[in-house]
Amino acid sequence: MEAAGGEERVLLTQRLKAAVHYTVGCLCQDVAENKEVQFSKQTIAAIAEITFRQCENFAKDLEMFARHAKRSTVTTEDVKLLARRSNSLLKYITQKSDELISSNMEQKEKKKKKSSAAKGGRTSGEQVIVTESEDSNMA
Amino acid sequence: MAADADAPPPRGARFRGAGGPAARGAMEERDGRAGGFRKETVDRLLRLHFRDGRTRVNGDAQLLMAEMLNVFVREAAARAARQAQAEDLEKVDLEQVEKVLPQLLLDF
Repeated sequence: MEAAGGEERVLLTQRLKAAVHYTVGCLCQDVAENKEVQFSKQTIAAIAEITFRQCENFAKDLEMFARHAKRSTVTTEDVKLLARRSNSLLKYITQKSDELISSNMEQKEKKKKKSSAAKGGRTSGEQVIVTESEDSNMA
Repeated sequence: MAADADAPPPRGARFRGAGGPAARGAMEERDGRAGGFRKETVDRLLRLHFRDGRTRVNGDAQLLMAEMLNVFVREAAARAARQAQAEDLEKVDLEQVEKVLPQLLLDF
């Protein structure tokens, strides 16, 4: 997304703010049910605004972290750096990152098994035993 | 995090403990519903503010940032709710958000 024309950018910003507002509304509703409280509309709007602004800080930091590492693509390492200010946050994000990594590895394993099966059955001496320990639920 | 001493998981955040394919499925499945931010939205949000047009975000980082934003929102809401409860209010209003905002921003 190159530098959008002024008007385009305003439109994009509006759409993104609306998307954020909607998602914040959903998340707050969830919290409201769990905690048995109610959030005023202004509260939800305020949290949405705060979140939107925080994204700007996040984005700029992420870009700088990537650039510092001489990359042009932001990776999970950059995101983890972003979470450094609170121990529990960092722990949570690191845990999620590890889950993603193990999920990636399992997907690679499945692809390898599929492609070796597709290349005409068993290689000499090798038996492909496919054990699914978890159902793939990737709808 | 939050008011209580050293409780590791951020309040209000939900943990899908399962690892493996279930985790990615769980993270993506939560998009858009009571779940949280969609990775496409997160990507566009970040790219809106990048200074260099060439900067991109890889898929896993998008998912992780979506989680980050989910936690941010849930933390904000949960802390404001807790503040309201401390003040014996049933409805959370701007005042409660204002009170919890400084520490929230310091923690993120």
